[in-house]
Amino acid sequence: MIKKTFKRGVHPHIPGGGKKATRDLPIEDYVSDSVVIHMAMNIGAPATPCVKKGDPVKIGQVIGTPNGFMSVPVHASVSGEVTAVEDIPYLGTGNVKAVFIKNDFLNTWEDHRPLGDVEQVDPSLIIPAIRDAGITGMGGASFPTHVKLTFPEGSSCDTILVNGAECETHLTADHRLMIEESRRIVNGLRAVMRAVNVPKAIIGIEDNKPEAISAMQEAVSDREGISVQPLKTKYPQGGEKQLIQALTGRQVPAGKLPIDCHVVVLNVGTCAAIADAVTEGKPLVSRLTTVTGCVNTPKNLRVPIGTRVEDMIGACDGFSEEPGKIFFGGAMTGIAIPNISTPTAKSTNGIVALNEKDARSLDETACIRCGRCVAACPIGLNPYKIKVAADASDFETAEKLHVMDCMLCGSCAYVCPARRWLTPSFRFAKDKITAERKAKAAKAAAEKGGANQ
Amino acid sequence: MSEERMSLGKVMKNGIITENPTFRLVLGTCPTLAVTTSAINGLGMGAAATFVLICSNFVISLLRNFIPDKVRIPAFIVVICTFVTMVQLLMQAFIPSLYDALGIFIPLIVVNCIILARAEAFASKNTPVASAADGLGMGLGFTIALVILGSIRELIGNGSIFGANILGASYEPMLLIVLAAGGFLSYGLMLGLFNLITKKLENKKSRKEAEEA
Amino acid sequence: MNLRISTAPHIHHPVTTQRLMLYVIMALLPTTAVGIYAFGLPAAILLAISCATAVLCEFVWQKIAKQPVRVNDLSALVTGLIVGLNLPANAPWWIALIGSAFAVLIVKQLFGGLGDNFLNPAMAARAVLLASWPVHMTSYVVPTFFDAGVDAVTAATPLATAAQNAPAQLMDLFMGNIPGCIGEVSKLAILLGLVILLVTRTVTWHIPFTMVASVFVFSWVMGADPVYAILSGGVLFGAVFMATDYVTSPMTPVGQMIYAAGIGLIIVLIRNFGAYPEGVTYGILLMNIATPLIDRFLPRKLYGYQKEAKQA
Repeated sequence: MIKKTFKRGVHPHIPGGGKKATRDLPIEDYVSDSVVIHMAMNIGAPATPCVKKGDPVKIGQVIGTPNGFMSVPVHASVSGEVTAVEDIPYLGTGNVKAVFIKNDFLNTWEDHRPLGDVEQVDPSLIIPAIRDAGITGMGGASFPTHVKLTFPEGSSCDTILVNGAECETHLTADHRLMIEESRRIVNGLRAVMRAVNVPKAIIGIEDNKPEAISAMQEAVSDREGISVQPLKTKYPQGGEKQLIQALTGRQVPAGKLPIDCHVVVLNVGTCAAIADAVTEGKPLVSRLTTVTGCVNTPKNLRVPIGTRVEDMIGACDGFSEEPGKIFFGGAMTGIAIPNISTPTAKSTNGIVALNEKDARSLDETACIRCGRCVAACPIGLNPYKIKVAADASDFETAEKLHVMDCMLCGSCAYVCPARRWLTPSFRFAKDKITAERKAKAAKAAAEKGGANQ
Repeated sequence: MSEERMSLGKVMKNGIITENPTFRLVLGTCPTLAVTTSAINGLGMGAAATFVLICSNFVISLLRNFIPDKVRIPAFIVVICTFVTMVQLLMQAFIPSLYDALGIFIPLIVVNCIILARAEAFASKNTPVASAADGLGMGLGFTIALVILGSIRELIGNGSIFGANILGASYEPMLLIVLAAGGFLSYGLMLGLFNLITKKLENKKSRKEAEEA
Repeated sequence: MNLRISTAPHIHHPVTTQRLMLYVIMALLPTTAVGIYAFGLPAAILLAISCATAVLCEFVWQKIAKQPVRVNDLSALVTGLIVGLNLPANAPWWIALIGSAFAVLIVKQLFGGLGDNFLNPAMAARAVLLASWPVHMTSYVVPTFFDAGVDAVTAATPLATAAQNAPAQLMDLFMGNIPGCIGEVSKLAILLGLVILLVTRTVTWHIPFTMVASVFVFSWVMGADPVYAILSGGVLFGAVFMATDYVTSPMTPVGQMIYAAGIGLIIVLIRNFGAYPEGVTYGILLMNIATPLIDRFLPRKLYGYQKEAKQA
């Protein structure tokens, strides 16, 4: 079968992409004695806690109610008692409300009602069920899935793409899910196809996961309209835009969403969660997370959402070396966490601990114009030029150089021999420009409002 | 008129350092690059330009209230031409060797930016005495710059200054520096050096002022 | 436990600036060795002077300018080595000294140091030396290959003698048995260097191959012997080690090919119509100057800007 791919990109240099330690390990369940569930699980408005200290909760009980369309409910992931509802600082987003629950290990579930078989169920019930199950994109971006599946007026979708590329380093959660629970993924995908009435779906998987490819091929063999497409192993193959380019040859227009080129992209984990929501009526309360790096026993763990990092490290028999840095996600886009009591969220697909030596930050040196960043950028930008503009706080020029099309994949910063902090600069520039645009829009709206009066 | 009280020293300083036509204003670069292949050429060019500057500034200042605004540039040029022709004839008569060395660049003093710029910017607005003093300051600034550049280029490119051999017979001159490219190169380096020095001086001055305040 | 907080990416490719410069030096070693073997002690002394001067100048400048001293990125050493390899073996010692100092101080550091120079330092130094001391820079010795009985004989380069209808044998040109600069005699050693550069992925094939192909094609169009044209003079050395300088060559493959083709064209024009027998230096310098323009005006296809989305 032909392996498809996108333009440019990089090959992260660590042996086996850092996946060797966990790629052949079956999924293990782990439940800790307490969890911390924060309310900002999705992009958009955070949920509002609806329990208070001392309340008994069951698994799947709603503990946070959504605020508006771009928001999903949050459910208790263990049964037990609420010990506190407090603000906690969370990963650069400022303070968010969080619910602390002590686990009673009774494993009592809130009542849930299955909708039935995915091929039989009334399609109009599926999207509301997805929303009520609190499902967000599980690949990392946490976009509420029901929003993604509610197409804006005038747009159409002809293909659903399923992202099984898992191009990030270290992560093997999706890999294991595809091997062990391919049925669930396919069920969820069929539910989505019926809900939005799209007859065609493609599952893209990088060719460094042959077991996953064959497992998925077998799982889709008796289902309608789904095909499995091997992809070349290259970062960022699993980036939404790159996956679309590789699988369909289309490009998402600049500043637009995948639906504008008539596709929707779902992560394999999201599909599995949708299957649970439809066939069992269960909300999203646990997820697969790869714990690897400098821990004694790297594992693929299925944990209740809100499990603290330290508990999961404990489940992997502790650190093998003094860690210098720990991040959620892979090494290319992962978010560094400040301490090990940080709880996981719906989007935490991996926890990687680097030892002191690997975690050393590197001094920026002069750009030697070698062009490696230009050769790496999957969008086709000129990172070195944008960096010059961004460092001079010349955001206007940065914008002209299309910094807003940068998706912060980190490829340029990864290959740079001068170790220039390209991606951080672009993140800063993008934040600045977005803030400026918002301020401008607010001002324009205010003026318009004034004129109307 | 307070400007009339402007001291001679101040005018000189203005021409030689703060508004040095060659190193600060970057005016008259064409003769600068062309004739500074030796110190004596630089001196001759500087002297000729200084003479023209003083005289034309003085005369234009005298006539400033009679020249209609619309035709002032041609009128200035006529005045400047007169003095340039005088210089040319005098040089040809008394120092023919220098006249031959400078060649076309003597008549080209007419269109030298420094002279026209001073006529426009200073002489047409100030009294004759002040204008003549300004011409002297500017001319000296120009001359000093040309002599410095000419000496450096002659020293490196020929091993001598004002024709006197300094680096000895075994010195193998760096031909490039007396070629056109070398002119640009040495001029650029001098500009950089001048900027560096003035910046250092300004920093020192502002630090002193800050301390006093 | 003290955890570092930093933004992604958390890993980096192991190749650093220093490593790249080391690869370049490794690639220069074969031709350096052949040069020293061919021309003996004087060549070794010249190379030592040029390298030492370049490194020292960089160090002193960075100290004086109160910049972080980054001599250990090896870029100055590369510059010094290339300046030395561009000299005739019997050039006086001070030529190497002035060349290296000019390259590092004036061409590189005055314009902002590594990455900000708009001309290839070694190339600009060679042009200055050539214009300043043409006699020293063009009186080449015939390689002695440590043949003790033979005195050094000066001779014109094959390019200069070609005009007198006595072309050197192609095999001699290839193996290095010809008078010329220290580094450009043996084409075999230069090609070995190219292999090292390509295998270590220090450079891509675009610049060297396009440049040589361009000289070949344009020479052929002009009616000259194309094989002779690419084997004689500094074409190969320039294509492999000088035109490929990161700082002064375009960043995109298409840009690099335009740049290299331009160098080839200028070389052929100078050789066939100019006053000089060789044009590699000026070809590379002129296209160095054109590099920012190429980088700026070459259109790039960006993701998300294709005219119309295909619909299946």
